Amino acid sequence: MDSDKPVVIFNGVGKRFKKERKLLLKEALVDIFKPGKSEYFWALKEISFSLKRGDTLGIIGKNGTGKSTILKLIAGVMFPDEGKVTVHGNIAPLIELGAGFHFELSGRENIYLNGVILGLTRSEIDKRFGSIVKFAELEDFIDTPIKHYSSGMYMRLGFSIAVHTDPDILLVDEILAVGDEAFQRKCFKKIREIQTMDKTVVFVSHSTDLIREYCNKVMLVENGEIALLGDPSKVIAAYKR
Amino acid sequence: MRIFKNKDLLFELIKRDIKSRYKQSFLGYVWVILVPLINLLILSVVFSFFIRIETGDIPYTMYLFAGLVPWLFTSTAIVSATTSIVQNTSLITKVALPKEVFPAAAIFSKTIDFSLNFVIMMSFMVYFGVSIKWTMALLPLIFVIHFVLILGIAYILSSINVYFRDVENVIGVFLSMWMYLTPVLYPPEIVPQNLRPFFDLNPMTALINSYRDIILFGRTPSWQNLLYSFVAAFVVFFIGGLIFKRLSRNFADVI
Repeated sequence: MDSDKPVVIFNGVGKRFKKERKLLLKEALVDIFKPGKSEYFWALKEISFSLKRGDTLGIIGKNGTGKSTILKLIAGVMFPDEGKVTVHGNIAPLIELGAGFHFELSGRENIYLNGVILGLTRSEIDKRFGSIVKFAELEDFIDTPIKHYSSGMYMRLGFSIAVHTDPDILLVDEILAVGDEAFQRKCFKKIREIQTMDKTVVFVSHSTDLIREYCNKVMLVENGEIALLGDPSKVIAAYKR
Repeated sequence: MRIFKNKDLLFELIKRDIKSRYKQSFLGYVWVILVPLINLLILSVVFSFFIRIETGDIPYTMYLFAGLVPWLFTSTAIVSATTSIVQNTSLITKVALPKEVFPAAAIFSKTIDFSLNFVIMMSFMVYFGVSIKWTMALLPLIFVIHFVLILGIAYILSSINVYFRDVENVIGVFLSMWMYLTPVLYPPEIVPQNLRPFFDLNPMTALINSYRDIILFGRTPSWQNLLYSFVAAFVVFFIGGLIFKRLSRNFADVI
């Protein structure tokens, strides 16, 4: 594959949401009789950028500016209302670790469940099982229901499964806040390893230190628009001002 | 169908459902058998002692059982499939998944309950001296039609429920109404002749009649019943698939 070819392309992307969500039929029916009342707000406007293999993008900005929506658009969970999102390669979302966990099931059962959710086949999981458990350091607890795990333990398990899916694009949303420092270091070592394999990583974080250390591009998002995109130190300086 | 391309995902979701369903309950999976038996006991006491329903040579309990087991599959599968999307909110908003596997997994998991109950029913047949007929070989055919019908309904209800949670509130009432309009508790013959054309529009009527034909009466179901339920099931499935496909694109936005 041509290494200069972009793997993530956003072309004039806009995403809007309804201002009020109509959860009850009653409210929706009222709406039908009051036409033109559905109001939208644009969570993202005119977002254009592209990422190549080997790029690590950090997204910073205040809460509620649309950072996570960008990740969801890359992940293919949401679709743009304007413009176009193109993604080449398989994606591992690390958004809120453990989304696919079931607390009554054991660590072992959850590895299979989470693995197939992230797109692996069962035989692929069989092959990687030992390595997943070893990286998560859960050899002694793998047959324990995960409801007895500490938050650090299932964070470790979730991270381990996601990086073992061998993704072309890794999406990381504020997840490395939990867990002890030793494991955090291990996670970042793994992310470094993924970077050197010419993969693409997208980070959302409030920690400008992390962003400065790991990213070669930084995007500052303000009110759903790209305020600044480029060199980490310049963008971070603008953000801190 | 994309579901079969995702058979590993489907398999793990079914496993998750079955393994977790009765965790932390004392009787565990025994409940799958116990619930229909309790239903059967209550209904057969009411309708063979208090209000007598005539079912000819077949004991009422047996007649009821042959209709109740397929009906319970319909109702439990629809209830659990309806909430299957909403219950997986955390996944739907985070991972790009083929969402149609969720209702399918819910129904497959109830299929296992259905098979267990079927075995219990056969042992009741032995007890009541009703012989097991060769026509039982037609069971897979009738079951496939039944399954497709439920899957179609599940696609409609589960996707609308994401937008309007009213669906999951109204589903219980809807199902009990539907049960009384289907010959589960009574033979279809007691329905007045002039109402029969409307009564027979219900595809579950054709299916329950066919189940009883092959289980109790040892006769092949009428081709009208088979053809009608087949056509109805696939029409519902087709419409359900279209609705689901249309609505599922925005699940993550509204869920």
